[in-house]
Amino acid sequence: MTPLDTPMQRSQSISIASVFERYGLVIFLVALMVVAAIASPTFLRPANLVNVLTIAAPLGMVVVGQTFVILVRGLDLSVASLMATVAVLATAFKATTNEAIPMIFIAAIALSAMVGLVNGWLVAKRNVSPFLATLAMMIILQGARFAYTGGAPISTLPPGMGFLASGRVLGIPVNLITLAFLAIAFGIVLHRSRLGREIFMVGSNPKAAFLNGVAPDRVVILCYVICSVCAGIGGLFLLGYVGTVSNWVGQGYELDSIVAAVMGGVALSGGRGNVFAALLGVAVLVVINNLVLLLGFPIEMQLIIKGIIIIGAAAFYRTRLA
Amino acid sequence: MSAIAMDIRRNRLMLSYLIVAVLLVLLAVAGGFLSDRFLTWRNIGNLLQQLIVLGMVSLGQTFVVLMGGIDLAIGSLVGALTVFLANFLEWRPDLVWLALPLALIAATGVGAINGLLTVVLRVHPLIVTLGMSSIIFGGTLMYRKEPGGSVPRAFADIAYTKVGGIPISAIVLVVIFALAGLWLQRTRTGRSIYFAGGDREAARLNGLPVDRIVVLAYALSGLCAGIAAIFLTARTGVGDPRIGVALTLQSVTPVVVGGTILAGGRGGVLGTFLGVLLVTMLNSLLNFVNVSSYYQWVIQGLIILIAVGIHSSRRK
Amino acid sequence: MSASVIELSQIEKDYPGVKPLDKVDFAVQPGEIHALLGENGAGKSTLIRVMGGVTKPNSGTITYLGKPVSWQSPKAARAAGIHVIHQELALFPELSVAENILVDAQPRGMLGLISNRARHARAAEILAQLGVDIPTHAKIDELPLADQQMVEIAKALVGDVRLLILDEPTAVIAGREVDLLFENMRRLRNEGVGIVYVSHRLEEIFEIADRVTILKDGQLVGTSPVSALTREEMITKMVGRRLSQIYPPRRAAPADGPDVLSVRNLRAGPRVRDVSLNVRVGEIVGVAGMVGSGRTEVAEAIFGTRAVDSGVIEFDGKPFERKLPKGSIGHGLGFLTESRKDDGLFLGLPISANIVAPDLDAITKRGLIDRKQERAVATRQIQDFSVATPSPDVKIGNLSGGNQQKVLFSRWSRIASKLLILDEPTRGVDIGAKVEIYRIVRRLADSGVGVLMISSELPEIVGLSDRVFVMAQGHVVGEIKGDALSEEAIMDLAVRSVEDRNAGMDQHAEPVG
Ligand SMILES: Nc1ncnc2c1ncn2[C@@H]1O[C@H](COP(=O)(O)OP(=O)(O)OP(=O)(O)O)[C@@H](O)[C@H]1O
Ligand SMILES: [Mg+2]
Repeated sequence: MTPLDTPMQRSQSISIASVFERYGLVIFLVALMVVAAIASPTFLRPANLVNVLTIAAPLGMVVVGQTFVILVRGLDLSVASLMATVAVLATAFKATTNEAIPMIFIAAIALSAMVGLVNGWLVAKRNVSPFLATLAMMIILQGARFAYTGGAPISTLPPGMGFLASGRVLGIPVNLITLAFLAIAFGIVLHRSRLGREIFMVGSNPKAAFLNGVAPDRVVILCYVICSVCAGIGGLFLLGYVGTVSNWVGQGYELDSIVAAVMGGVALSGGRGNVFAALLGVAVLVVINNLVLLLGFPIEMQLIIKGIIIIGAAAFYRTRLA
Repeated sequence: MSAIAMDIRRNRLMLSYLIVAVLLVLLAVAGGFLSDRFLTWRNIGNLLQQLIVLGMVSLGQTFVVLMGGIDLAIGSLVGALTVFLANFLEWRPDLVWLALPLALIAATGVGAINGLLTVVLRVHPLIVTLGMSSIIFGGTLMYRKEPGGSVPRAFADIAYTKVGGIPISAIVLVVIFALAGLWLQRTRTGRSIYFAGGDREAARLNGLPVDRIVVLAYALSGLCAGIAAIFLTARTGVGDPRIGVALTLQSVTPVVVGGTILAGGRGGVLGTFLGVLLVTMLNSLLNFVNVSSYYQWVIQGLIILIAVGIHSSRRK
Repeated sequence: MSASVIELSQIEKDYPGVKPLDKVDFAVQPGEIHALLGENGAGKSTLIRVMGGVTKPNSGTITYLGKPVSWQSPKAARAAGIHVIHQELALFPELSVAENILVDAQPRGMLGLISNRARHARAAEILAQLGVDIPTHAKIDELPLADQQMVEIAKALVGDVRLLILDEPTAVIAGREVDLLFENMRRLRNEGVGIVYVSHRLEEIFEIADRVTILKDGQLVGTSPVSALTREEMITKMVGRRLSQIYPPRRAAPADGPDVLSVRNLRAGPRVRDVSLNVRVGEIVGVAGMVGSGRTEVAEAIFGTRAVDSGVIEFDGKPFERKLPKGSIGHGLGFLTESRKDDGLFLGLPISANIVAPDLDAITKRGLIDRKQERAVATRQIQDFSVATPSPDVKIGNLSGGNQQKVLFSRWSRIASKLLILDEPTRGVDIGAKVEIYRIVRRLADSGVGVLMISSELPEIVGLSDRVFVMAQGHVVGEIKGDALSEEAIMDLAVRSVEDRNAGMDQHAEPVG
């Protein structure tokens, strides 16, 4: 039997490999930023960096939630549609004063939680494939939203909504504070709490989790609720950023959030991943976007470069096949 | 327990087929009730004419999903190919015989590249094909931003011609599906798609050329996108880089509604075919009875859930 | 002696932190059955993966049929006539038995298309040659594990095989199936096939093998004819020390405490028809019977994962309503399941998480996991059970099969304060670890835990149990204790009752559920 005489030394050599896997992403991000800084002097300007982060914040919120769902072998395609729906909901109060903002938040979170509950119920209890369940939810929300707005939403919003994007507390943008708060709170839930452990167990082997006294259905449903709530909050912040309500607020966020999470090493096969690494994936994504923008490339070049870098980044640190 | 009940319990796939088939009949009956023009030959002919594009991209997606992957580059690829075809044929309307094979070869090549990238880089197919989609879309926009081009009359005809009241495109579709089904069920290479999708590591241990199978599945998906693009260009007469955007996710719905599971290794083309019929018929019906397009979405979403929700709950 | 079928020389393989193969030489002659022995993690499977083209060695040479080779893939090795039955099943659960057997050799008929009829005919032929009766149309996941293993074995009879490698094929089969396997192995040996055989059951080695090679910690200990070694010598070479006693001594006086578990006239699904048994405090009760006799299903019903149709389950003297695993665990019940990979392991998670899994309460403080405590618990268990690993943070998927089993054992024995149900507890576990496990089971029992042990290994049932219930076709057909306890008595009871039953009534096929 191998004696346990040198546990420290052994465990180090093992964790170096895994740590390298994680740092591959950081290295890539730093390299990307160096390239950006060289290619465009604007990149490192505080104004630009703040701008990048402001754009990153709502996506980051969605990715925090998406990570939970992917960890339990799912994925949520309805997040973007939910973001737009929440934005439309915000106008439903026809509020012109800031008193309504807490109400808007409460309503948005309540709606999101309900959507998450339905998604989770479909996946966990009815055994619908997550792809289909959330795709259907995406379409249904879209229909409901359009039906409500008649295709042309009004943009009556409390003036304070803009604060969500541009406001600062102690010089730090509020959206970043919120993202940091969400990431840390949910990061603790995921990586330190008992619920988090159960999430990893269910993602790794649902049947074994059940036999070890975990209720997999409950855990899965909770993950979908967390995901939707994160997306709902992200939707409000994105609304604050774009300023006007449209039926397509957040379009593309469903796939972007999945790409970011997967680039951040969250395995689509479940049971493996880290919220903070997923947020690094977000950083890579937005820096790429900003870089191609700063370089003044036309939109089509942006798309091409973005595609190449996404594949390259993923290959760089080998997101393993699911 | 009766033999049939036993069989169905055994074969979850049969159950999916059955449910989709029942839904199809219900839709047809509902259509007949709601409008006396719905079940006319004319409308059915129209409906059949619409099948080919969704049918072909879904077939391509079926190969990839069965093999355990996913192809999110389909839509961009179709868009790019329509642009190529319409512009090429505007320039040389006489070279249809050259344009079509070129389009198919290019499409197959792009698919093969998707497959190669997942194999060589070992990157998740979702990322590879999404990145590829972005690259293709960007490339197409670089060439043409707006819809444009035109096609010769003879070429446009392939989308509209009917034989005995049945559109040629529908016949082509059925033949291709039948061949695909035969290939998947009855050839060694076809079966290996199921092996690779069922358990890739096991397939490798059993001495199957897994990498080649992966590349093949993506290449076939590309080829199918090429065929879809040909008929789409013929029908619309223009090349539009954005025309495929919605197709990517749409191509997955019939596959999954038809009982093929996204994890791979289980399902088949018959289910996809029924799924395509269901989705197309549903859209047509909703248009027919003048449901506001907003509610159409809601109903579509619900039907997807019903189709899948009924039988999937039995799996535990 | 004629030229070797395969000859490996100075093979080395490195993984981060482990060196499973360190300059290993190994050769197999045509027409010999060559046993490969070693503890869990000794490197047997790694060596096999190297021969089969699954893993590339870091250095060393392979000579196959006289030519140096360097396999690029399993496909290449297979095409050259090497067939490997790996430790983990390589089957496709959604596909039919026939298709699994003929995975890369599907018979073609007209137009080069696969002929369904020929496929099933050929598969049936192969199964008949092997001597088993498995429906070729059934899907793999409808079959019991033992039949799945037989399908895996059947695959070896398809093509032209020069070297057949079997990595613990008997871990999940017993009795008649093992005999069938051995018959076929002997036949192939007589046809000149070279065979490599891995098993932790030493009596099998003596029964079937001609020569034996022993590995320890990735290094070659030696090769010799089986007849030149005694059982004790073999164990000593494998473990590196003498094992004086396999089974711990029984308690002097038979346990006569109160029942911790009592089951009466239990019916649960098609495979549990009428089961009555009991386990007293501090007692080890064995459950023997053929594979498929309903033993696992009884355990599931007790643990609360299988619906009970009728009958009584009393736990600690109180009726035990159907509880989910959570409830059972809370009552001090542990259940080591049969299928390690499917029901037991969280493959992607560290060893520590796998150990504390059923008992998160104990390491949770105000909703948060106390990592220090988790590590402490895990480290203690790893030491207690001699799990060969550098650290509790290692992913359990990287452990050898036997070590994974030890981790699972340490998981359940920790939380089972009243009753521990073991389903094939030493499957794939090496002899040294077995001895440790037996000691631990006895220690648990002595501390007052009741143990219900299902096992297909009769020696361990007889060696460890205080009492034994024998099951056949969903019924408990007898109880054996004291001096009457012997392998023959158990076999006798199991076989005779089946014959009686078949003679006595018109049996229809039970649907597999
Ligand atoms: N892919 C891998 N990555 C890291 N370590 C590995 C890997 N595969 C095997 N090992 C390590 O190599 C060693 C040898 O493992 P191997 O599976 O060959 O043992 P074995 O002799 O077959 O044991 P068992 O009897 O338990 O099956 C073990 O310590 C194991 O943890
Ligand atoms: Mg092994």
